[in-house]
Amino acid sequence: MTTEPALDAKQRAAVDAAQVAVRSRGYWTTVALRIRDDKVTLLCGVVLLLILLSAVFADLIALADPYKASMMQRLKPIGTAGYPLGADEMGRDMLTRLIYGGRLSLFMGISPIVFALAIGGSLGLVAGFLGGRVNMLIMRVMDVFYAFPSVLLAVAISGALGAGIGNAIVSLTLVFIPPITRVTESVTTGVRSLDYVEAARASGAGSLTIIRVHVLSNVLGPVFIYATSLISVSIILASGLSFLGLGTEPPEPEWGLMLNTLRQSIYVNPWVAALPGAMIFLTSLTFNLLSDGLRSAMDVRL
Amino acid sequence: MIGGGGRADPRGGGAGVRDGADPRGGAGLQGGGTGGRGAPPLPPPLLEVRGLRKHFPVRGGILNRTVARVEAVDDVDLAVRPGEVLGIVGESGCGKSTTARLLMHLIRADAGRVTFDGALVRADDAAGLRELRRQMQMVFQDSYSSLNPRLPIEETIMFGPKVHGVSAEAARERARELFALVGLDPAQFIRRYPHELSGGQRQRVNIARALALEPRLLILDEAVSALDKSVEAQVLNLLLALRRELGLTYIFISHDLDVVQYMSDRVLVMYLGKVVEIGSTADVYERMQHPYTEALLSAMPSMDPDRRIERPPLAGDPPNPINPPPGCRFHTRCRFADDVCRHAEPRLAPAQDAGGGDRRGGEDSEDGAEGRDHLVACHMRAAGSGHGRAPAPVGR
Repeated sequence: MTTEPALDAKQRAAVDAAQVAVRSRGYWTTVALRIRDDKVTLLCGVVLLLILLSAVFADLIALADPYKASMMQRLKPIGTAGYPLGADEMGRDMLTRLIYGGRLSLFMGISPIVFALAIGGSLGLVAGFLGGRVNMLIMRVMDVFYAFPSVLLAVAISGALGAGIGNAIVSLTLVFIPPITRVTESVTTGVRSLDYVEAARASGAGSLTIIRVHVLSNVLGPVFIYATSLISVSIILASGLSFLGLGTEPPEPEWGLMLNTLRQSIYVNPWVAALPGAMIFLTSLTFNLLSDGLRSAMDVRL
Repeated sequence: MIGGGGRADPRGGGAGVRDGADPRGGAGLQGGGTGGRGAPPLPPPLLEVRGLRKHFPVRGGILNRTVARVEAVDDVDLAVRPGEVLGIVGESGCGKSTTARLLMHLIRADAGRVTFDGALVRADDAAGLRELRRQMQMVFQDSYSSLNPRLPIEETIMFGPKVHGVSAEAARERARELFALVGLDPAQFIRRYPHELSGGQRQRVNIARALALEPRLLILDEAVSALDKSVEAQVLNLLLALRRELGLTYIFISHDLDVVQYMSDRVLVMYLGKVVEIGSTADVYERMQHPYTEALLSAMPSMDPDRRIERPPLAGDPPNPINPPPGCRFHTRCRFADDVCRHAEPRLAPAQDAGGGDRRGGEDSEDGAEGRDHLVACHMRAAGSGHGRAPAPVGR
């Protein structure tokens, strides 16, 4: 069976012309153009990029040693010569410690989400795509985790495992697996029942091919955006664990821990004491606004 | 060009298919009632379905037990001959789309034998299903949700051939040909996304996608119902042209009676998961036998202002397919319903007119093909059924 006779000369010419096909704007070009017009998202992206870059290149930009204490400089106010953002209760340079602190805080905020995305995303995809008993099993297990408030769960797991960065990341990962699984499952369930998945099955494709070509591309976007919004929660929780002494240990610079140790100084020098909190606030706010902006930019239907 | 490839080997044996008990025996699916006198022998059907059944469980209660069943498709028999268009009509919820999905094996049938091109299709034979799906493709009603929004439409069309082992370049070449075939300029469209197309264009893409595997049978499930009238006409003519050029066979599912009449060689009328009447388009539209068909057809809007319908031919909605009425499923809305209709289920049998009427010829006619494969499931048309209007049983 051939389709050749169906092509008349005119159509054949059209086929030839197609060799130099006019490319419609690609998906990512459209997204980039939309973000360009969205000033808030753009600003958040820039701020976040600055925070990330300063954390990564802390060694190059920091002026002082983050561990070098000086009794003479304790709790110097913002603007003191040599201490642009003042000094902490041990007389260490605040600016330097805030820059270095970003390393641990961002790492402890982002890495649990990455791990949870890998584990929870896979679980949700399997549960959503297969449905039935598998779905029931996975989702009911997740519901058990949901029974505990996330902060309490993180503190409980961290407390059981003991203090330390690694354990804090494990406990935060466990906290974020259920919500990511649930969101992935619901998006996958929605996509699975759409006609294009049925049509792909009708073309004779196997489940893995269908997931790879048709399901993932439509599930990853929303799940990724959701995960971005969770980073802000994760940063706050990680700082909280450090604040409680369950994450980082002194003298490591970390925003949550700095907030804890400076807490006694709040009556002496409130502005310096508030700085780590301000960084946590700024970072989680920008992550939140960024995920909002991405959500609207990546929606093809708008 | 994609090679024709080997056709499916006949897969013998009925193992694996739960064969629904078939009380009708060999009821003339392909007609055959009047024997071979004068009429040319019919070609063997491309697709033949016997006793197709799908009951969806309705779950409820805290233990998620099955509390009821929706009899979406119940003992449906049909045969599609090579090159013909079989129309399937019926109200919403009568099981048309479920039938289509069952034929594609997108959902698993509870019972039934599907034979494609003489070979039995087994639901647990993955390679066989793959081959069946290459030869039988489907166009869905919703042109938007049947295209992946994240793929350029070219990629969507290339997907099927690539799954079947065609190289990317050959698949791309094939996609270009198909675009031209369905009347879309490849230069303009191949890199577009579904949301950048109109409804009619999207449905052309869906048709191209279905044709990408060079199927022999195309199931069109309400394929034009969502389009506006002028676009619908274009797409219908495209479908007819494609059938001519590619030698396709269609199963055309629609609730639009005019469109089915325009498209089909034969028509099957469904009511609540059952086939109530099947026959040539002329037989069904002009010499309808079943009261439901009659009511359905009289609901067609007439262009003649003098032929106004004063009262609606059918009152109310079809009964709930959960717990369908016993006996004939139509008896609750049928104005000829008799006692027998409430108890006994009518069988699909060759139509026997209750004497005279507008039926020309009949059995003695030279025109043997006329009406010989016109089957109806109604006690009124079955001799000796016990219905007051049934023809008397005559020894023929």
